[in-house]
Amino acid sequence: MRMHNISSLKQEFLKKWAMGLQTYRASKKDMSIWERKKAIKLSADIAMASTRTANSYWSRALIYNSSKNHCNKVPVEHVLGSESECLVKASTQLVMNNKRVRSKKILKRSCSVRRMKKILAVPQVGLASSIAKRLVKKRTQVLKSLLPGGEFMDEFSLIKETLDYIVSLRVQVDVMQQLADATDRLNRSKVINKE
Amino acid sequence: MDMAGKDNLGAEKGNDDPLNFHSPNMSSDWQFIGANLANSSMGSIPTGNPMAASKGDLLESSSCSSASMVDSFCPANWEQTTHSQNLGFCEINVQHGPSTSNMLGIRTSGLGPIRTGAERTVGIGWTPPNAMLKGGLFLPTASGMLPQSLSQFPADSGFIERAARFSCFSAGNFGDMMNPFSIPESMSPYSRSMASMQGPHRVFSGEGSKTVSGEQYQKIEINVTENPKDVEHGAIEGSPLKNERKTESSMGPHDEPKRCSAVSGNESDEAEFSGGGQEEQSMLEGRGGEPSTKRLGSKKRKRSGQDNEIDQVKGATQQPSEIPKDNAKIQQQGNQNLVSASNRPGGKQGKQGIEASDSPKDEYIHVRARRGQATNSHSLAERVRREKISERMKFLQDLVPGCSKVTGKAVMLDEIINYVQSLQRQVEFLSMKLATVHPRLDFNIEGLLTKDVLQSRAGPSSLGFPPDMTMPYSLLHSSHPGVIHTVLPGVGNSSDALRRTINSHVTAMSGEYKESTSHVPNVWEDELHNVIHMDFNSGATSALLNGQDIRGIVSFPT
Repeated sequence: MRMHNISSLKQEFLKKWAMGLQTYRASKKDMSIWERKKAIKLSADIAMASTRTANSYWSRALIYNSSKNHCNKVPVEHVLGSESECLVKASTQLVMNNKRVRSKKILKRSCSVRRMKKILAVPQVGLASSIAKRLVKKRTQVLKSLLPGGEFMDEFSLIKETLDYIVSLRVQVDVMQQLADATDRLNRSKVINKE
Repeated sequence: MDMAGKDNLGAEKGNDDPLNFHSPNMSSDWQFIGANLANSSMGSIPTGNPMAASKGDLLESSSCSSASMVDSFCPANWEQTTHSQNLGFCEINVQHGPSTSNMLGIRTSGLGPIRTGAERTVGIGWTPPNAMLKGGLFLPTASGMLPQSLSQFPADSGFIERAARFSCFSAGNFGDMMNPFSIPESMSPYSRSMASMQGPHRVFSGEGSKTVSGEQYQKIEINVTENPKDVEHGAIEGSPLKNERKTESSMGPHDEPKRCSAVSGNESDEAEFSGGGQEEQSMLEGRGGEPSTKRLGSKKRKRSGQDNEIDQVKGATQQPSEIPKDNAKIQQQGNQNLVSASNRPGGKQGKQGIEASDSPKDEYIHVRARRGQATNSHSLAERVRREKISERMKFLQDLVPGCSKVTGKAVMLDEIINYVQSLQRQVEFLSMKLATVHPRLDFNIEGLLTKDVLQSRAGPSSLGFPPDMTMPYSLLHSSHPGVIHTVLPGVGNSSDALRRTINSHVTAMSGEYKESTSHVPNVWEDELHNVIHMDFNSGATSALLNGQDIRGIVSFPT
């Protein structure tokens, strides 16, 4: 599927991440470690999301969530580049749409639940299957909470988004790991050189 | 007060201190149970509050996780006059671990052995509801006991289907527990119905589909719409026919409960198909050769309403779907139209957010109803939906490590959740680490990675440096660890070269997930040494030194 272009994904991610980080370089103040970490993570997330905006919903939800926070504006815009405005708008639109749809669905379901309860006069007989259903339901809920923008998805798209998200996360982790490794080696070599 | 005071729970109002046990260490546990018992009737519950709260959670969670019977039991029993039974119930719900004999003994013999039972249960301890499923074990036994239980399982096809579906779950937690209980029961009504209903294809195909579902438990629906109609269930169950994926033979042992002879024929047929591998063609062709009595023409033509990822599969789908169209036992054409019409809105709804960017394609899916099954648009849409879901789950299986063994939706979802969580944590951790290494966030990514490329690509944890590293390092001799600007001229970093090097490097480095997880702790330790040597700003150092546990560090900033 997407395996063939993972390396290009990585490159893209790296570039955008660097762009995002550059915006922090300009700031004069000294950032605490937490701030730095947040900055790094934010840039990485946005970069990751921007590489997948075309195909996935979670990325747009991520962008939407990040842009809600005003402190994040600068890197977000920087990373997203020229399309930042329309992207943000599009993501907002999408999320709002889904929220609307979702709430409608919930309404409908709550109306029909009463009807179903009347129909099901006989109590649930399939013990095991109902347990299983409940388990699955619980887990899909957990998964939804994990995925950015996941609460608004139906099950089917949830799985697809999860797929996408996993791939992107892996890319992100890999690149960050490599960067960390490189820094490590550099530092280690410095230690050696100093001694 | 004594445990005997429990007898008069309902009667007495002033049982404020119900659980002063003879042995002090048990009192805490009993205050729990007492607190639960006396939730409304009792006044203040002295010291059991924190525990009561968690106990309430326990109860809740257990009742949520267990079958609905628990829900019906517990509240019903709270109203009972005999609180002794309540106590027994409470114990059942709470003590998931201990053997049934204790519970039953307590319940049947009333309040007499409460004290002894308490001792036993307390001795066993209050295990957290990790064995929620075991709670289900009590329920069947409990059902036999209680008058208002749901012990009588109607021997109808609805139950058969559920039992069949259930047996699909036998992988994992359910297998050992539920099997003894439900399978024997399921077998008898199953065979009974088999004997009685040979003619109508309705049940027969339903059974056949059940065997398929037995082998392809991915089909187990999440959807909880409890349609009491057997036919609809049969339709839903029949969807696995369309499954283009093979389910592992690990399902084989789980099929054993289904030993009906007539069904076994189906099983072998289906096993053949699924053994055919992931080729849809082979499956469908094999199906074409099958005895037509069993498999009735349920074909599906998937329109290009699918996503890009499964284009290949789709291509395979569309091809063979034309083949069986010829020898299809066709339903009324009206059904198809009905289905396609009704699927259109359904399809569109499900694809709103996803396919906004896709090129406009036909968004409806032609599904032909199988003969004798409901052509209700709902059930057919359900079937389509679940097939799609299982397809996707297949992909996820390949992606998530450790999921190669097909084990069922719930377990797979669990794995997926764990994986996503661990990946997210890794990102947090790595960003934290990078934050510590780069005090001013001015690291030169390109330079870093280029240097990375220059080094050996064999393993990330190699400590030996090739000699060509010394030159750039000498340049950096005096500079701050995070600043590597001088590397740039030395390396001659053009964007193309960077891309090439990164490309080659990342492909080499795109290691396994496990590798990275095992690697991270080592690097962290090295980092620790680095920090100590490099004399970083004290904040970072203290953070590192304080949080030896990686998780602890990750959780700091959140």
